[in-house]
Amino acid sequence: MFFFRYIFFIVAAGAIVSSGFAPSGGGASGPTQSGSAGSGPTPYPLKYPAYFGNRVNLREDNPLTVEGVALGRYLFYEKRLSRNNTVSCSGCHQQARAFTDGRAFSLGFDGVQTRRNSMSLTNLLWVRQFFWDGRVGSLEEQAVVPLTDAHEMGQTLEGSADKLRGDARYRRLFAAAFGGDSEGGQGGKVVTGERIVKALAQFERTLISSDARYDRYIRGDYQLTASERRGLDLFFGSAGCGRCHGGPKIFNETYHNNGLDRVFKDSGRAMVTKMAYDRGRFRSVTLRNVELTAPYMHDGRFGSLPEVIDHYNEHVEASNTLSPSLRDTAQRPIRLGLTAVEKKDLLAFLHTLTDSTFITDPRFSEPKF
Amino acid sequence: MKFFVVVVCCMAGMVSYGQSVKVSGEVLTPLTLTAADLMAMPRATATAKDKQGTPHDFSGVALSEIFAKAGVTTGKQLRGENLAKYLLVTCADNYQVVFSLAELDSSFTDRVVILADQVEGKPLPAGTGPFRLIVPGEKKPARNCFQVVSLSIRFAKD
Repeated sequence: MFFFRYIFFIVAAGAIVSSGFAPSGGGASGPTQSGSAGSGPTPYPLKYPAYFGNRVNLREDNPLTVEGVALGRYLFYEKRLSRNNTVSCSGCHQQARAFTDGRAFSLGFDGVQTRRNSMSLTNLLWVRQFFWDGRVGSLEEQAVVPLTDAHEMGQTLEGSADKLRGDARYRRLFAAAFGGDSEGGQGGKVVTGERIVKALAQFERTLISSDARYDRYIRGDYQLTASERRGLDLFFGSAGCGRCHGGPKIFNETYHNNGLDRVFKDSGRAMVTKMAYDRGRFRSVTLRNVELTAPYMHDGRFGSLPEVIDHYNEHVEASNTLSPSLRDTAQRPIRLGLTAVEKKDLLAFLHTLTDSTFITDPRFSEPKF
Repeated sequence: MKFFVVVVCCMAGMVSYGQSVKVSGEVLTPLTLTAADLMAMPRATATAKDKQGTPHDFSGVALSEIFAKAGVTTGKQLRGENLAKYLLVTCADNYQVVFSLAELDSSFTDRVVILADQVEGKPLPAGTGPFRLIVPGEKKPARNCFQVVSLSIRFAKD
Protein backbone atom coordinates (compact mmCIF):
# COMPACT_ATOMS: atom_id res chain seq x y z
CA MET A 1 0.00 0.00 0.00
CA PHE A 2 2.83 2.32 0.97
CA PHE A 3 4.53 1.75 -2.36
CA PHE A 4 1.41 2.03 -4.47
CA ARG A 5 0.77 5.46 -3.06
CA TYR A 6 4.19 6.67 -4.17
CA ILE A 7 3.86 5.20 -7.63
CA PHE A 8 0.64 7.10 -8.09
CA PHE A 9 2.23 10.38 -7.04
CA ILE A 10 5.15 9.94 -9.37
CA VAL A 11 2.91 9.40 -12.37
CA ALA A 12 0.75 12.32 -11.38
CA ALA A 13 3.74 14.60 -10.95
CA GLY A 14 5.14 13.62 -14.31
CA ALA A 15 1.85 14.34 -15.98
CA ILE A 16 1.43 17.68 -14.30
CA VAL A 17 4.95 18.92 -14.84
CA SER A 18 5.21 17.89 -18.45
CA SER A 19 1.98 19.63 -19.26
CA GLY A 20 3.67 22.90 -18.44
CA PHE A 21 2.40 23.43 -14.92
CA ALA A 22 5.02 24.40 -12.41
CA PRO A 23 4.54 23.55 -8.80
CA SER A 24 4.54 26.65 -6.68
CA GLY A 25 7.18 26.47 -4.02
CA GLY A 26 7.78 28.14 -0.70
CA GLY A 27 8.85 31.73 -0.64
CA ALA A 28 7.48 34.78 -2.29
CA SER A 29 7.99 33.79 -5.89
CA GLY A 30 5.35 31.65 -7.49
CA PRO A 31 5.21 29.52 -10.60
CA THR A 32 7.63 30.56 -13.26
CA GLN A 33 7.05 28.20 -16.13
CA SER A 34 4.65 30.45 -17.95
CA GLY A 35 4.28 29.06 -21.39
CA SER A 36 5.34 30.98 -24.44
CA ALA A 37 2.63 30.56 -26.98
CA GLY A 38 4.14 30.70 -30.42
CA SER A 39 7.71 32.01 -30.56
CA GLY A 40 10.37 32.30 -27.90
CA PRO A 41 12.06 29.72 -25.78
CA THR A 42 10.27 26.51 -24.80
CA PRO A 43 9.45 25.88 -21.13
CA TYR A 44 11.74 23.17 -19.75
CA PRO A 45 9.80 20.10 -18.61
CA LEU A 46 11.00 19.55 -15.06
CA LYS A 47 10.47 16.00 -13.84
CA TYR A 48 10.94 14.78 -10.33
CA PRO A 49 9.26 12.36 -7.97
CA ALA A 50 6.26 13.61 -6.02
CA TYR A 51 7.93 12.41 -2.82
CA PHE A 52 10.52 15.20 -3.20
CA GLY A 53 7.76 17.73 -2.66
CA ASN A 54 7.32 21.06 -4.37
CA ARG A 55 9.19 23.40 -2.08
CA VAL A 56 11.33 24.38 -5.04
CA ASN A 57 13.49 27.45 -5.49
CA LEU A 58 12.49 28.79 -8.89
CA ARG A 59 12.88 32.43 -9.89
CA GLU A 60 10.17 34.44 -11.52
CA ASP A 61 12.75 36.48 -13.43
CA ASN A 62 14.54 33.41 -14.76
CA PRO A 63 12.07 30.74 -15.89
CA LEU A 64 13.58 27.44 -16.95
CA THR A 65 13.60 26.98 -20.71
CA VAL A 66 15.00 24.27 -22.93
CA GLU A 67 17.22 26.85 -24.63
CA GLY A 68 18.35 28.45 -21.38
CA VAL A 69 19.28 25.10 -19.86
CA ALA A 70 21.15 24.12 -23.04
CA LEU A 71 23.14 27.36 -22.94
CA GLY A 72 23.83 26.87 -19.24
CA ARG A 73 25.24 23.45 -19.97
CA TYR A 74 27.70 24.89 -22.50
CA LEU A 75 28.68 27.60 -20.05
CA PHE A 76 29.15 25.11 -17.21
CA TYR A 77 31.88 23.45 -19.25
CA GLU A 78 33.31 26.69 -20.72
CA LYS A 79 36.89 27.42 -19.70
CA ARG A 80 36.80 30.88 -21.21
CA LEU A 81 34.80 31.92 -18.16
CA SER A 82 38.10 31.91 -16.29
CA ARG A 83 40.75 34.57 -16.55
CA ASN A 84 43.38 32.41 -18.26
CA ASN A 85 40.90 30.06 -19.99
CA THR A 86 41.96 27.04 -17.92
CA VAL A 87 39.10 26.46 -15.48
CA SER A 88 35.38 25.88 -15.97
CA CYS A 89 32.68 25.20 -13.37
CA SER A 90 33.07 21.54 -14.26
CA GLY A 91 36.67 21.55 -13.04
CA CYS A 92 35.56 21.58 -9.41
CA HIS A 93 32.15 20.03 -10.13
CA GLN A 94 32.73 16.83 -12.11
CA GLN A 95 29.70 14.78 -13.06
CA ALA A 96 31.35 11.42 -12.36
CA ARG A 97 31.90 12.56 -8.75
CA ALA A 98 28.34 13.88 -8.35
CA PHE A 99 29.74 17.29 -9.28
CA THR A 100 32.58 17.44 -6.78
CA ASP A 101 36.31 17.19 -7.49
CA GLY A 102 37.80 14.70 -5.06
CA ARG A 103 39.98 17.34 -3.39
CA ALA A 104 39.83 18.76 0.12
CA PHE A 105 40.18 22.23 -1.39
CA SER A 106 39.84 23.05 -5.05
CA LEU A 107 42.36 24.85 -7.20
CA GLY A 108 41.44 28.09 -8.92
CA PHE A 109 42.76 29.35 -12.26
CA ASP A 110 45.95 30.54 -10.57
CA GLY A 111 46.53 27.34 -8.61
CA VAL A 112 45.50 28.90 -5.31
CA GLN A 113 43.33 26.71 -3.08
CA THR A 114 39.74 27.58 -2.23
CA ARG A 115 38.80 28.10 1.41
CA ARG A 116 36.26 25.30 1.54
CA ASN A 117 35.48 21.94 -0.02
CA SER A 118 33.71 21.93 -3.38
CA MET A 119 30.01 21.16 -2.86
CA SER A 120 28.06 18.48 -4.67
CA LEU A 121 25.55 19.89 -7.16
CA THR A 122 22.57 17.64 -6.61
CA ASN A 123 18.91 18.52 -6.29
CA LEU A 124 19.70 22.21 -6.04
CA LEU A 125 16.12 22.94 -7.06
CA TRP A 126 15.19 22.34 -3.41
CA VAL A 127 18.02 24.39 -1.93
CA ARG A 128 17.14 27.89 -0.80
CA GLN A 129 20.44 29.02 0.67
CA PHE A 130 23.77 28.31 -0.95
CA PHE A 131 27.38 27.67 0.08
CA TRP A 132 28.54 25.92 3.24
CA ASP A 133 27.33 28.94 5.21
CA GLY A 134 24.10 29.66 3.33
CA ARG A 135 25.13 33.17 2.46
CA VAL A 136 23.05 33.67 -0.72
CA GLY A 137 19.49 32.81 -1.64
CA SER A 138 19.68 31.89 -5.32
CA LEU A 139 21.83 29.99 -7.76
CA GLU A 140 22.12 33.18 -9.77
CA GLU A 141 23.82 34.92 -6.84
CA GLN A 142 25.84 31.81 -6.09
CA ALA A 143 27.30 31.55 -9.58
CA VAL A 144 28.69 35.07 -9.46
CA VAL A 145 31.00 34.17 -6.58
CA PRO A 146 33.25 31.50 -8.14
CA LEU A 147 33.10 33.24 -11.52
CA THR A 148 34.45 36.51 -10.17
CA ASP A 149 36.46 35.38 -7.13
CA ALA A 150 40.05 36.55 -7.46
CA HIS A 151 41.41 33.03 -7.08
CA GLU A 152 38.67 30.79 -8.46
CA MET A 153 37.84 31.86 -12.02
CA GLY A 154 39.09 35.41 -11.58
CA GLN A 155 37.12 37.25 -14.23
CA THR A 156 34.40 39.88 -14.14
CA LEU A 157 31.04 38.94 -15.62
CA GLU A 158 31.55 41.64 -18.22
CA GLY A 159 34.96 40.19 -19.04
CA SER A 160 33.38 36.78 -19.58
CA ALA A 161 30.62 38.26 -21.75
CA ASP A 162 33.23 40.11 -23.85
CA LYS A 163 35.07 36.85 -24.54
CA LEU A 164 31.96 34.91 -25.54
CA ARG A 165 30.51 37.74 -27.62
CA GLY A 166 33.10 37.12 -30.28
CA ASP A 167 31.86 33.56 -30.77
CA ALA A 168 28.92 33.37 -33.18
CA ARG A 169 27.81 30.04 -31.71
CA TYR A 170 27.36 31.65 -28.30
CA ARG A 171 25.59 34.65 -29.80
CA ARG A 172 23.07 32.26 -31.31
CA LEU A 173 22.67 30.27 -28.09
CA PHE A 174 22.13 33.42 -26.02
CA ALA A 175 19.63 34.80 -28.52
CA ALA A 176 17.70 31.52 -28.52
CA ALA A 177 17.61 31.42 -24.73
CA PHE A 178 16.93 35.05 -23.89
CA GLY A 179 15.96 36.82 -27.12
CA GLY A 180 17.71 39.45 -29.22
CA ASP A 181 19.32 39.41 -32.61
CA SER A 182 22.56 37.44 -32.64
CA GLU A 183 23.74 38.88 -35.95
CA GLY A 184 22.26 42.37 -35.92
CA GLY A 185 25.07 44.25 -34.27
CA GLN A 186 23.49 43.68 -30.88
CA GLY A 187 26.18 41.36 -29.62
CA GLY A 188 26.47 43.45 -26.49
CA LYS A 189 22.81 43.05 -25.66
CA VAL A 190 22.59 39.38 -26.51
CA VAL A 191 25.59 38.15 -24.54
CA THR A 192 25.65 39.67 -21.06
CA GLY A 193 27.02 38.79 -17.68
CA GLU A 194 23.54 38.62 -16.22
CA ARG A 195 22.48 36.11 -18.86
CA ILE A 196 25.57 33.99 -18.24
CA VAL A 197 24.60 33.70 -14.61
CA LYS A 198 20.94 33.05 -15.39
CA ALA A 199 21.73 30.28 -17.85
CA LEU A 200 24.13 28.60 -15.43
CA ALA A 201 21.46 28.71 -12.73
CA GLN A 202 18.91 27.18 -15.09
CA PHE A 203 21.20 24.30 -15.96
CA GLU A 204 22.03 23.67 -12.33
CA ARG A 205 18.35 23.51 -11.41
CA THR A 206 17.97 20.54 -13.74
CA LEU A 207 20.62 18.47 -11.92
CA ILE A 208 18.09 16.19 -10.28
CA SER A 209 19.15 12.90 -8.76
CA SER A 210 16.20 10.57 -8.16
CA ASP A 211 17.23 7.15 -9.38
CA ALA A 212 19.45 5.78 -6.63
CA ARG A 213 18.72 2.30 -5.26
CA TYR A 214 17.11 4.13 -2.37
CA ASP A 215 14.66 5.80 -4.78
CA ARG A 216 13.89 2.47 -6.37
CA TYR A 217 13.26 1.10 -2.89
CA ILE A 218 10.84 3.97 -2.18
CA ARG A 219 9.09 3.28 -5.46
CA GLY A 220 8.86 -0.42 -4.66
CA ASP A 221 11.24 -1.48 -7.45
CA TYR A 222 14.13 -2.60 -5.27
CA GLN A 223 14.36 -4.76 -2.19
CA LEU A 224 17.00 -3.65 0.29
CA THR A 225 19.49 -6.30 1.40
CA ALA A 226 19.34 -7.24 5.07
CA SER A 227 22.38 -5.08 5.77
CA GLU A 228 20.99 -2.07 3.85
CA ARG A 229 17.71 -2.45 5.71
CA ARG A 230 19.44 -2.47 9.08
CA GLY A 231 21.46 0.53 7.93
CA LEU A 232 18.28 2.38 6.97
CA ASP A 233 16.78 1.65 10.37
CA LEU A 234 19.91 3.00 12.06
CA PHE A 235 20.04 6.05 9.79
CA PHE A 236 16.46 7.11 10.42
CA GLY A 237 16.28 5.59 13.88
CA SER A 238 18.73 5.20 16.73
CA ALA A 239 21.80 6.67 15.03
CA GLY A 240 19.77 9.82 14.40
CA CYS A 241 21.39 10.69 11.04
CA GLY A 242 17.99 11.42 9.55
CA ARG A 243 17.42 14.27 11.97
CA CYS A 244 19.71 16.45 9.90
CA HIS A 245 19.80 14.47 6.66
CA GLY A 246 16.18 13.42 6.63
CA GLY A 247 13.39 12.78 4.18
CA PRO A 248 13.53 11.15 0.76
CA LYS A 249 15.87 13.89 -0.48
CA ILE A 250 18.25 12.96 2.35
CA PHE A 251 18.50 16.67 2.92
CA ASN A 252 17.13 19.17 5.40
CA GLU A 253 18.33 22.67 4.88
CA THR A 254 19.79 23.25 8.31
CA TYR A 255 23.10 24.36 9.81
CA HIS A 256 24.88 22.53 12.58
CA ASN A 257 28.12 22.35 14.45
CA ASN A 258 28.67 18.63 14.17
CA GLY A 259 31.45 18.46 16.70
CA LEU A 260 34.47 18.50 14.42
CA ASP A 261 36.51 20.83 16.62
CA ARG A 262 36.70 22.46 20.00
CA VAL A 263 38.33 25.53 18.50
CA PHE A 264 37.16 26.70 15.10
CA LYS A 265 39.60 27.57 12.35
CA ASP A 266 36.64 28.50 10.19
CA SER A 267 33.76 30.13 12.02
CA GLY A 268 31.28 29.01 9.35
CA ARG A 269 27.79 30.44 9.42
CA ALA A 270 28.75 33.01 12.03
CA MET A 271 30.55 34.88 9.26
CA VAL A 272 27.15 35.41 7.65
CA THR A 273 24.91 35.97 10.66
CA LYS A 274 27.48 37.60 13.01
CA MET A 275 25.94 35.49 15.76
CA ALA A 276 28.15 33.89 18.38
CA TYR A 277 25.98 30.79 18.49
CA ASP A 278 26.60 30.16 14.80
CA ARG A 279 30.34 29.73 15.21
CA GLY A 280 31.52 26.44 13.79
CA ARG A 281 28.13 25.81 12.24
CA PHE A 282 27.90 24.63 8.62
CA ARG A 283 25.26 23.39 6.23
CA SER A 284 24.18 19.80 6.74
CA VAL A 285 24.59 18.67 3.17
CA THR A 286 22.58 16.25 1.10
CA LEU A 287 23.91 12.72 1.40
CA ARG A 288 22.73 11.73 -2.06
CA ASN A 289 25.69 10.25 -3.91
CA VAL A 290 27.76 10.61 -0.77
CA GLU A 291 29.82 7.58 -1.80
CA LEU A 292 31.17 9.69 -4.67
CA THR A 293 31.82 13.00 -2.95
CA ALA A 294 34.88 12.34 -0.77
CA PRO A 295 36.65 13.98 0.92
CA TYR A 296 34.05 15.07 3.45
CA MET A 297 33.16 18.10 5.59
CA HIS A 298 33.65 21.79 4.79
CA ASP A 299 37.41 21.32 4.91
CA GLY A 300 37.59 17.88 3.37
CA ARG A 301 39.21 16.47 6.49
CA PHE A 302 37.80 12.95 6.18
CA GLY A 303 38.94 10.92 3.20
CA SER A 304 36.38 8.14 3.45
CA LEU A 305 32.88 7.39 4.71
CA PRO A 306 34.12 4.99 7.42
CA GLU A 307 36.10 7.94 8.81
CA VAL A 308 32.93 10.04 8.83
CA ILE A 309 31.01 7.30 10.62
CA ASP A 310 33.89 6.98 13.11
CA HIS A 311 33.61 10.71 13.78
CA TYR A 312 29.96 10.47 14.78
CA ASN A 313 30.59 7.22 16.57
CA GLU A 314 33.56 8.19 18.67
CA HIS A 315 34.97 11.65 18.14
CA VAL A 316 32.27 14.32 18.44
CA GLU A 317 33.92 17.23 20.25
CA ALA A 318 32.25 19.42 22.86
CA SER A 319 31.93 23.15 22.35
CA ASN A 320 29.49 25.94 23.18
CA THR A 321 27.85 25.72 19.80
CA LEU A 322 27.70 21.94 19.37
CA SER A 323 24.35 21.00 17.85
CA PRO A 324 21.74 20.06 20.47
CA SER A 325 21.08 16.98 18.33
CA LEU A 326 24.57 15.81 19.24
CA ARG A 327 24.29 16.46 22.98
CA ASP A 328 22.79 14.34 25.70
CA THR A 329 20.64 15.84 28.47
CA ALA A 330 23.78 16.55 30.52
CA GLN A 331 25.01 18.58 27.52
CA ARG A 332 27.80 16.09 26.79
CA PRO A 333 28.61 15.13 23.20
CA ILE A 334 26.70 12.08 22.06
CA ARG A 335 28.86 9.28 20.75
CA LEU A 336 26.85 6.69 18.88
CA GLY A 337 28.60 3.58 20.12
CA LEU A 338 27.86 1.55 17.00
CA THR A 339 29.32 -1.92 16.66
CA ALA A 340 31.52 -2.88 13.71
CA VAL A 341 28.56 -4.64 12.08
CA GLU A 342 26.31 -1.63 12.59
CA LYS A 343 28.91 0.63 11.01
CA LYS A 344 29.00 -1.67 7.99
CA ASP A 345 25.21 -1.65 7.80
CA LEU A 346 25.13 2.13 7.90
CA LEU A 347 27.72 2.25 5.14
CA ALA A 348 25.67 -0.21 3.08
CA PHE A 349 22.67 2.09 3.41
CA LEU A 350 24.72 5.15 2.42
CA HIS A 351 25.78 3.29 -0.70
CA THR A 352 22.13 2.90 -1.71
CA LEU A 353 22.10 6.68 -2.17
CA THR A 354 24.46 6.45 -5.15
CA ASP A 355 22.66 7.34 -8.35
CA SER A 356 24.58 6.00 -11.34
CA THR A 357 21.89 7.29 -13.70
CA PHE A 358 22.61 10.81 -12.47
CA ILE A 359 26.37 10.65 -12.89
CA THR A 360 26.12 9.24 -16.41
CA ASP A 361 23.11 11.25 -17.59
CA PRO A 362 24.06 12.62 -21.02
CA ARG A 363 21.97 15.74 -20.38
CA PHE A 364 24.51 16.81 -17.78
CA SER A 365 27.73 15.88 -19.59
CA GLU A 366 30.05 18.15 -21.55
CA PRO A 367 28.27 19.22 -24.73
CA LYS A 368 29.92 19.36 -28.13
CA PHE A 369 29.42 22.36 -30.34
CA MET B 1 48.19 42.16 21.18
CA LYS B 2 46.61 43.84 18.21
CA PHE B 3 45.27 40.49 17.09
CA PHE B 4 43.88 39.84 20.55
CA VAL B 5 42.03 43.15 20.56
CA VAL B 6 40.57 42.47 17.15
CA VAL B 7 39.38 39.02 18.20
CA VAL B 8 37.78 40.34 21.38
CA CYS B 9 36.04 43.12 19.44
CA CYS B 10 34.74 40.65 16.89
CA MET B 11 33.39 38.36 19.58
CA ALA B 12 31.83 41.25 21.44
CA GLY B 13 30.26 42.35 18.18
CA MET B 14 28.80 38.94 17.62
CA VAL B 15 27.32 38.71 21.07
CA SER B 16 25.76 42.16 21.02
CA TYR B 17 24.10 41.58 17.67
CA GLY B 18 22.15 38.54 17.67
CA GLN B 19 20.22 37.76 20.73
CA SER B 20 16.88 38.90 19.44
CA VAL B 21 13.78 37.58 17.75
CA LYS B 22 12.38 39.30 14.69
CA VAL B 23 8.59 39.53 14.41
CA SER B 24 7.55 40.33 10.87
CA GLY B 25 5.14 39.70 8.02
CA GLU B 26 1.41 40.34 8.47
CA VAL B 27 1.90 42.63 11.47
CA LEU B 28 1.11 46.29 12.05
CA THR B 29 4.36 46.87 13.92
CA PRO B 30 7.40 44.75 13.06
CA LEU B 31 9.42 44.04 16.20
CA THR B 32 12.91 43.02 17.14
CA LEU B 33 12.60 41.60 20.63
CA THR B 34 15.65 41.40 22.86
CA ALA B 35 16.04 39.51 26.12
CA ALA B 36 15.30 42.75 28.00
CA ASP B 37 12.15 43.34 25.95
CA LEU B 38 10.85 39.89 26.85
CA MET B 39 11.61 40.40 30.55
CA ALA B 40 9.55 43.63 30.48
CA MET B 41 6.49 41.96 28.98
CA PRO B 42 3.78 40.01 30.86
CA ARG B 43 5.35 36.66 31.76
CA ALA B 44 3.93 33.18 31.32
CA THR B 45 5.03 29.67 32.17
CA ALA B 46 4.82 26.30 30.47
CA THR B 47 6.09 22.83 31.14
CA ALA B 48 7.94 20.51 28.78
CA LYS B 49 9.69 17.19 29.20
CA ASP B 50 13.31 16.59 28.22
CA LYS B 51 14.62 13.56 26.29
CA GLN B 52 14.48 11.47 29.46
CA GLY B 53 10.87 12.41 30.11
CA THR B 54 11.68 14.67 33.06
CA PRO B 55 9.39 17.73 33.17
CA HIS B 56 10.92 21.21 33.38
CA ASP B 57 9.30 24.57 34.08
CA PHE B 58 9.96 27.17 31.44
CA SER B 59 9.10 30.83 31.59
CA GLY B 60 8.87 33.48 28.95
CA VAL B 61 6.21 35.37 27.07
CA ALA B 62 3.05 33.95 25.53
CA LEU B 63 3.02 34.22 21.76
CA SER B 64 -0.38 35.88 22.09
CA GLU B 65 1.28 38.75 24.02
CA ILE B 66 3.89 39.12 21.30
CA PHE B 67 1.13 39.10 18.70
CA ALA B 68 -0.77 41.80 20.57
CA LYS B 69 2.34 43.98 20.69
CA ALA B 70 3.05 43.46 16.99
CA GLY B 71 -0.56 43.96 15.88
CA VAL B 72 -1.38 40.49 14.63
CA THR B 73 -5.03 39.60 13.99
CA THR B 74 -6.14 37.77 17.13
CA GLY B 75 -9.36 37.21 19.10
CA LYS B 76 -12.36 38.79 17.40
CA GLN B 77 -10.23 39.69 14.40
CA LEU B 78 -9.30 36.08 13.83
CA ARG B 79 -12.09 35.28 11.41
CA GLY B 80 -12.71 35.19 7.68
CA GLU B 81 -9.58 35.35 5.60
CA ASN B 82 -7.45 35.84 8.72
CA LEU B 83 -8.01 32.17 9.47
CA ALA B 84 -5.78 31.47 6.49
CA LYS B 85 -2.84 33.06 8.29
CA TYR B 86 -0.02 31.07 9.80
CA LEU B 87 3.05 31.61 11.91
CA LEU B 88 6.38 30.47 10.45
CA VAL B 89 8.97 30.01 13.18
CA THR B 90 12.60 29.98 12.05
CA CYS B 91 15.48 28.89 14.26
CA ALA B 92 19.19 29.64 14.08
CA ASP B 93 19.90 26.29 12.43
CA ASN B 94 17.23 27.13 9.82
CA TYR B 95 14.81 24.59 11.26
CA GLN B 96 11.29 25.79 10.60
CA VAL B 97 7.85 24.93 11.94
CA VAL B 98 4.41 26.44 11.37
CA PHE B 99 1.25 27.01 13.39
CA SER B 100 -2.06 28.27 12.11
CA LEU B 101 -2.96 31.42 14.02
CA ALA B 102 -6.05 29.69 15.38
CA GLU B 103 -3.81 27.13 17.11
CA LEU B 104 -2.31 29.94 19.16
CA ASP B 105 -5.35 32.02 19.91
CA SER B 106 -7.07 32.10 23.30
CA SER B 107 -10.51 32.33 21.65
CA PHE B 108 -9.83 28.92 20.08
CA THR B 109 -7.72 27.09 22.65
CA ASP B 110 -6.66 27.22 26.28
CA ARG B 111 -3.17 26.06 25.41
CA VAL B 112 -0.59 28.80 25.89
CA VAL B 113 2.48 28.53 23.69
CA ILE B 114 5.38 30.59 24.98
CA LEU B 115 8.63 31.99 23.71
CA ALA B 116 10.75 30.85 26.63
CA ASP B 117 13.94 32.52 27.83
CA GLN B 118 14.33 30.69 31.15
CA VAL B 119 14.17 27.17 32.50
CA GLU B 120 13.82 26.60 36.24
CA GLY B 121 14.49 30.33 36.66
CA LYS B 122 17.79 30.28 34.78
CA PRO B 123 18.76 31.28 31.24
CA LEU B 124 18.38 28.48 28.72
CA PRO B 125 21.47 26.33 28.20
CA ALA B 126 23.80 26.88 25.24
CA GLY B 127 22.46 25.23 22.16
CA THR B 128 18.81 25.79 22.96
CA GLY B 129 18.74 29.46 23.98
CA PRO B 130 18.53 32.30 24.34
CA PHE B 131 14.95 31.82 23.10
CA ARG B 132 13.00 28.67 22.38
CA LEU B 133 9.41 27.74 21.85
CA ILE B 134 7.50 25.65 24.38
CA VAL B 135 4.31 24.07 23.09
CA PRO B 136 2.55 22.32 25.97
CA GLY B 137 0.67 19.11 25.50
CA GLU B 138 2.13 17.85 22.24
CA LYS B 139 3.05 14.17 21.94
CA LYS B 140 6.19 14.99 19.97
CA PRO B 141 8.47 17.82 21.03
CA ALA B 142 9.33 18.74 17.45
CA ARG B 143 7.79 22.21 17.66
CA ASN B 144 9.55 23.06 20.93
CA CYS B 145 12.24 24.46 18.71
CA PHE B 146 15.57 25.89 19.84
CA GLN B 147 17.24 29.23 19.25
CA VAL B 148 14.26 30.95 17.68
CA VAL B 149 15.35 33.89 15.53
CA SER B 150 12.20 34.80 13.64
CA LEU B 151 8.42 34.74 14.00
CA SER B 152 6.88 35.53 10.65
CA ILE B 153 3.12 35.86 10.18
CA ARG B 154 2.03 34.97 6.66
CA PHE B 155 -1.01 34.37 4.54
CA ALA B 156 -1.53 31.01 2.87
CA LYS B 157 -1.81 32.27 -0.67
CA ASP B 158 -2.93 29.29 -2.73
